[in-house]
Order: sequence, then C-alpha cells, then structure tokens
Amino acid sequence: MTKVLTRHFDEPKLHELETYRRLGGYKGLEKALSMPRKDVIEEVKKSNLRGLGGAGFPTGGKWETVPPEEKSPGPRYVVVNCDESEPGCFKDRVLVTRAPHQVIEGALIVAHAIDAHDAFIFVRGEYQDQHDIFAKAIAEAEAAGFLKHCSMKLMRGAGAYISGLDTALLETMEGKKAWPRQPPPFPTVFGLMGRPTVVNNVETVSMLPHIMVNGGEWFAKLGVPKSGGTVVFSISGHIEKPGVYEFPMGVKLREVLAAAGGIKGGKKLKCVIPGGTSMPPLLEKDLDIAMDFDSVRAAGTFLGAGGMIVLDETVDAVEVAHNIERFLTHESCGQCTPCREGSAWTERILERVLEGKGTAEDLPNLTRVGENITGKVICALGETVGVVTRAYMTKFPEDFKKRVPNNG
Amino acid sequence: MNSTPLVGSPFTPAQEAVLKKWTTFYPHKEMGLVEALRSVQEWDRHIRPEAAAYVAELFDLPFNRVWGVATFFPSFTTKPTGKHRIGLCHGLSCWLAGSPLMAKRLQETLGVAEREVTKDGRFSWEEMECLGACEQGPALLVNDRLQGAATPEKIAKLKDLE
Repeated sequence: MTKVLTRHFDEPKLHELETYRRLGGYKGLEKALSMPRKDVIEEVKKSNLRGLGGAGFPTGGKWETVPPEEKSPGPRYVVVNCDESEPGCFKDRVLVTRAPHQVIEGALIVAHAIDAHDAFIFVRGEYQDQHDIFAKAIAEAEAAGFLKHCSMKLMRGAGAYISGLDTALLETMEGKKAWPRQPPPFPTVFGLMGRPTVVNNVETVSMLPHIMVNGGEWFAKLGVPKSGGTVVFSISGHIEKPGVYEFPMGVKLREVLAAAGGIKGGKKLKCVIPGGTSMPPLLEKDLDIAMDFDSVRAAGTFLGAGGMIVLDETVDAVEVAHNIERFLTHESCGQCTPCREGSAWTERILERVLEGKGTAEDLPNLTRVGENITGKVICALGETVGVVTRAYMTKFPEDFKKRVPNNG
Repeated sequence: MNSTPLVGSPFTPAQEAVLKKWTTFYPHKEMGLVEALRSVQEWDRHIRPEAAAYVAELFDLPFNRVWGVATFFPSFTTKPTGKHRIGLCHGLSCWLAGSPLMAKRLQETLGVAEREVTKDGRFSWEEMECLGACEQGPALLVNDRLQGAATPEKIAKLKDLE
C-alpha cells in the first residue's frame, strides 16, 4: 500500500530533525529552492494536489492567484491551518505529533513558491502539546539554517471552530472576532492584514516535500484523474480499530473500513459520515464508492477533511442530528441571521422531538428552516446547519416519524 | 502611540512584560491580541473588564474591540474557572463513546455542576465541543492538554493535581 505522509510513522524519533533528515527530510525544500517559483507552482499543479482541510481546492491553482510583486508590492504571507475542530477529524493532530518537520518543510516550500518571507502556523488552543512540538521543531529548523529566507511563528486559537475557516482564521489572527469574510476578494489577494496570503491545511503542506522530491506526475498517478496522491482518514465511532489511515485517493470506502477492523462488535452498519459531521452520511449501499473529492460529491456528500465516523445499527438518527446541530448552534459565529437563529431553532425542535413532545408541524418545520438557511449565509458552517438534519431526515425517515406520533 | 496605558494596571510588572511582548511579536500589533488575552485568561482564570481595558490601551484598540474578542471565543470567560480547567468532549464520536456518563462522573467526583468552581478554587469542568481526539473518546482535556479517554479512574486522579 502506497503511503506518503505516514510512511515512516514507525520511526520513534521522527519528530526530531536528525531522524527526519536521515529519512530524506528537507530534500524537497532544497529541490524547490533550486527551482524558479513558477516551476514549483507548475509541479504542484501537475500533481493534482487538492486542499485536504475540507474544501478540496486545487493547491497549485490557489497559489497562482497570488498577484505578482509588481502588481502588489509588499509582504505576502503563508498561514498553515492547524485549527482542526470538526467532529470526526483528528489527522492533523497525528501528523503534527509524529512529523512536525514535514509540515514546516511544506510551509517553507509554499513560502518559496509565492515569494513570502513570513509564515505562521495557527494551532488550535486545545492542541497545546502540538503547539509545543511545533515550537521545538521550529527552533531545530532555525538552528539548522532552514529559516534564513522565511520566518516562522506560531499562534494559538481560543476555542472557536469557525476559526478553522480560512477567512475567519485570518480575522482571528488580526485580533478580531472570527467572523468569516465574504469573498471575493479571496485571501490570496486580500488576506492577512490585507496582504496576499496563502492559507493551506497541515496535511496539504505535508504533501509538498514529497511532490518536490518525486515529481508532480508521480503524485498524480497515486490518485485518480482529478485528485492526486493520498489522503489521510481519521476513523472513529463504532469501529474496531479507530485511528489514522492513509490511502490513495479513490480507495473504496469498504476497503477503508476493513483496514480499520470493520464495525465494532460485528454489528450492522447504519451509516458512515465520510468527512466530518458536517457531511451527509453514506449508507451500506454506498460502500463501493471511490473516496476522492469528486466521487464522494457525486454520491451527494463530501470528502471534507476525511474525518469518518462509523455508526452502527443501534444508533438513532434523531439523536445524531441533534448532537450535530447542537455543535453547530454553539459554533455559529452569529454574523448571518439565518444561521444564528436557524441553528438554534433546529436544535430546539430536535430536542423537543427527542423528548417525545414533537408536534405534527415539527418535521415540516425542520425542512423549512433548513431550506431557509441554505444559500443565504456567508460560510459553509451555515450551509451545513441547513443541510445536515434534512440529510438524516431523508435517509432515515422512520427514525424521525416514530418519535412524532401525529406527524401527518 | 504611547505604550504606557493610562488606566491603572491590574497586572504585575512581569505580567505587563508578557503582554508588551505580544504587542511586538507579530508584524502587526493587533495580531498579538488573542495570545495576550490567552495570557490574561491563564493568570486570572477569566477576563475582567479592567483587564480588557488595560489590554485595549496597550494594543491601541478600542475597548469594545477587545471586549468583543474576549466574549466571542469559548476559551475566554467572564466568570472565573477553576485553577484546573477540565474539559470533556461531547462531539459525536465522544458522545457515542459515552460522554454523558463521564460528565455525570465529573460532577460527582468534583462535587460541582458544570462551569461551577470547587470551594477551594482548584477545579471547574465543562463539556466542550470537538477536541480533535475522536479515536480516544470521550476525550478529556486538562488545561488545554489532551489526556486520552476519560475513565472513572482518570477522573478520580484529577484530585491529585496540585
């Protein structure tokens, strides 16, 4: 099985510079620095690498939209997004803990590609251990002379899920409430402090050293035509061996679940959340779909950040929808009224249904509230509020109907 | 701009030095605000209006901007937390793994309701949104450090913390 990021994860001291270099670390940066910026971007475009933080946007294509120096004189920035907070996602935590230098090297490659001299790693506040691992690794990289052309600083978040969204992350970094911006302009044009900024996820930048060393074509061939390389899944829930698993893009969902030991206790599958709780669930009949951005999208949901949660037959879809909507209500930033109010209404209606006090209007109301959020909010969190409950209602209508006796 | 705030300082000289460091650590002053407020939360276990006012002056920002940030982010509180702030994840995977039972256990062991502080000021606990440790659910967090899965034994041992 081809592994890129987790290939050396059996090495106990991979987090230390010496071990990382012995296994070929920083060779990708060396290669990138020997190439013109344009060629680095071309190589990454050739690789078909797409953003692994959830959006799946082509990485090389994103970099290319950074305006050239003569059009936008002044600093440009690199921000590594290590604010993973979506229920089901924990691969960034593992990637940082085991291989912090892979992230640092990747960030320095981005910096070279867009001619940035300041890079930041934004780490969620609850990852204090990972923050400290980064601090140590950055000090090692600095002592070894890797930060001569680009500085690297850490910043911690303060517990808001929405800070993980690129524009909200930039607002947080600017010392503001994490309210998403309405693009355009996109961060590559108007980013941190109004300067061109590339925001890339931990896993995405970790791929870059390998693309530089082995070539874009090699990476592209590992995956499927429009999603190159591999993807690291976080698997949790009702599964025998929860953890982090790396597969080539396009792997069958069935194969991923088998690698993780299958459903816990030999129970039957109810559904699998493919990318984090914001993504509609997949059913038993979907187990042969290919896990890459476009195939999962064609199946009506999203690969997201690869945070899979397995739910067995004993789980009630109303309880699942309630858990997810409660999360979204708490994390709604409050900027857009449909999301701020709609998330709380959805949570309250679901709570009432769970308590057995549901009325005939509740199920149509859940649909109506959801429909009135979708398309009327700035960011993906709001879109999710409107989509999640409707997805569970469509796929498991019986779970909802049995809790509302006179549901019409 | 002046660097000595006009309002009286609610901090020790050493703390003031830390806050001042955050004003120059990043390329732009205001970029240090969230880190500075993290320091305040850590020292005082909450953010008081007078502390926010001091920080606002130090960062050349209006008080409202700083207070807005202090009341937006879940890590910041306007009411004191315990010296040890304990978090229990209730995201979907942790809920499947039994977080409601462990919440009950925390309440029984520490003897206080969620977000209340023990009489000696040492502990408070709260349910938190996804902590990024779904494979170890129900995830337990002590002062922003993950502790793996919450178990009755681990919860009983919390009381040994200084």
